[in-house]
Amino acid sequence: MSLSVIAVISRFLEEYRSSTSNKLKVIDAYLLYILLTGAFQFLYCLLVGTFPFNSFLSGFISSVGSFILAVCLRIQINPQNKGDFLSVSPERAFADFLFAHTVLHLVVVNFIG
Amino acid sequence: MRCRYTGMETMWSLVSLLVFVLALEAQALTPSHYLVASDVDRLQAVLSQPFTDLKSAYFSVVGLSKLGVSVADSNDACSFIKANVDSSSIEALFYAAEASQAISSCEIHVSNETRDSLHAAVSEDSTVSQIHQAVSALSSLGLPLASQEVVSALKARISKEDNVVAITLALQTASRLSQQAELGEILEEIEDLAARLDDLGGVYLQFEEGLEATALFVSAAYALSDHVDMEPPLKEDQVIQLVNSIFSKKSWDSLSEAFSVASAAAALSNNRFHKPVVVSAVGPATVSHSHPLLQLHVTDVLCQPLSSANVLVESATSVASKAAILSQTPFTLRDGIFELNFMASKPASGYYQFSVAVTGDSRLVANHVELKVKVSTKVAINNMDLSVVDKDQSIGTKTTRVEYPNKGKASFIADSHQNFAMTFQLVDETTGVELTPHQTFVRLHNQKTGQEVVFVAEPDSKNLYKFELDTAERKTEFDSISGTYALYLMVGDATLENPVLWNVADVVLKFPDEEAPSTVQSKNLYVPKPEIQHLFREPEKRPPTVLSNTFTALVLSPFLLLLILWFKLGANISNFSFSPSSVLFHVGHAAMLGLMYVYWTHLNMFQTLKYLAIIGSLTFLAGNRMLAQKAVKRYSLHHL
Repeated sequence: MSLSVIAVISRFLEEYRSSTSNKLKVIDAYLLYILLTGAFQFLYCLLVGTFPFNSFLSGFISSVGSFILAVCLRIQINPQNKGDFLSVSPERAFADFLFAHTVLHLVVVNFIG
Repeated sequence: MRCRYTGMETMWSLVSLLVFVLALEAQALTPSHYLVASDVDRLQAVLSQPFTDLKSAYFSVVGLSKLGVSVADSNDACSFIKANVDSSSIEALFYAAEASQAISSCEIHVSNETRDSLHAAVSEDSTVSQIHQAVSALSSLGLPLASQEVVSALKARISKEDNVVAITLALQTASRLSQQAELGEILEEIEDLAARLDDLGGVYLQFEEGLEATALFVSAAYALSDHVDMEPPLKEDQVIQLVNSIFSKKSWDSLSEAFSVASAAAALSNNRFHKPVVVSAVGPATVSHSHPLLQLHVTDVLCQPLSSANVLVESATSVASKAAILSQTPFTLRDGIFELNFMASKPASGYYQFSVAVTGDSRLVANHVELKVKVSTKVAINNMDLSVVDKDQSIGTKTTRVEYPNKGKASFIADSHQNFAMTFQLVDETTGVELTPHQTFVRLHNQKTGQEVVFVAEPDSKNLYKFELDTAERKTEFDSISGTYALYLMVGDATLENPVLWNVADVVLKFPDEEAPSTVQSKNLYVPKPEIQHLFREPEKRPPTVLSNTFTALVLSPFLLLLILWFKLGANISNFSFSPSSVLFHVGHAAMLGLMYVYWTHLNMFQTLKYLAIIGSLTFLAGNRMLAQKAVKRYSLHHL
């Protein structure tokens, strides 16, 4: 059983390494970074407590929000999905990404206290 | 079952409605403000002040004459007037003439020129005040007068000077003219002026110009009405309201005000048509066996008794039982006071509603008065029986009789198995009728601890008062403190002349389950209470700094991982074109991130939004340009 899981994972990683373009790998690295940051914040909250709660929330929501926006960017940039996003060029996707981030960070900084 | 109204029932309901309405109308107004003897004396004193000038001499001399008093030194006054008269002034002549007329054997002689100037003052070009002064002076000096000319001049001036004071002076002037003159139109002014009076709460009727104007109007109206022998158009209630207004002030600011009040009082006490009556009790309206006479002052507004009047009690009914005690009983006059021996009719104690009528003169106004009279009595306590009863009633009761005002010799002992009982009767001392006063209390006072408990004694159907103390049941009121209690009986009522506080006996109460007797602490509410210390909100407990710093580092560490991964993937910025839009874009973007930091530390949302708008729009424009260039480059690359 465990053998098949490991086999599946290694096969998956192999496929990933070969078939994904560099641009997407860059974004994936960024996604991993955001994920880890959010996870560490959550870990702190579990271990130490929720004081100050507003700061925790704003940090965590910032991580979650950034993750989601980066995922959207990745989807829109991926040339395999070009058929779904005919009106959205990669540059437009990036501009949307930046604008959404501005709004997100405005709210986060307001809430962080 | 349906009721059907027959003709008889309808007629009776109409009749009762009519009677009801008539009964309401019969509730006439009586004066609530009037001068008493001391007020009249004060008025006289004000008017008797030494003269400062001719005007004050006029007010004093004429005012005192209206009160029926002559001035202190008439010769002195006469010489003062003669010395101060100025023949060229109409006003001075007026004061001098009127004052000299009020003093007997004081005559002022005027020259022909003066007389002519007085006649000349009577014209349409003079004010009403001047016409009044000229006419009054001529009349008082006994000089002939052209009444019809005066009338026409007055009529012309009234239409021009349409104020209360002027019209009042016109009325006063008209009363000095010949009766053959046509005074009809001026007489109508009384009614017009009366309509201008303000009704305050149904009690007062006065001009907004004030007390003096109202009082002068009253004296002028009655002077003119008497002169032409026509009743003034004032209803009885209005007359009483005028009395209330004029005599509500008992000390006067100025000599002219005092003079106007004296004038009005003289007019109201002595005119041909209306004579307001003031009926008041001498002292409190109370009768008892020691003071059996009900005494009334029945006077006119100047506090002079109406000796020729007949004062009658139309009915006297008891307030409690509505039974009529007296009917059509006259008062007798003695030394200016009307008296009636009410106790002769042997009334029971309580309150009585008297309806008094003053007759004998058709001019009398407000001559039906309602009066509440109290009949007091002395109370006697009979058959005071004290006993200690066993609860299970196995042992017979032992009753002790105590006579007022003695105290029971032996103390009564009652413990939890016994009840203490008390019965007594309250009767009228003279008639022996049973009484039920408002306050009948039994008070038990512990001399040692100072504690007292009060109970109410209730009468039964035969008016026998009973009080029972169940020791076990009432122990909470006593705080279970056993000991000797002094028993007091308290009897009181508004109609009792002798309220009673009687120490009847001593009672020893034994309560079960007694704690160590503690002296009762009187609850002192006014000592300072213990101070409340304010606890400021404790700051939340924070985790140790080491822990926080570790986690800060941990949270920031993935950034390093990111940089490493990107380096491994070969991400670079070799494609960076140094076009102005791309430079501006990156600068603007960096500025926005910097603004976020500054927002966190210093700014508020509004300022941030302001800066964000500026930087953001620049960045947007630059970024738009840059991305467009990139797009063009990519497009051209792909479509090569």
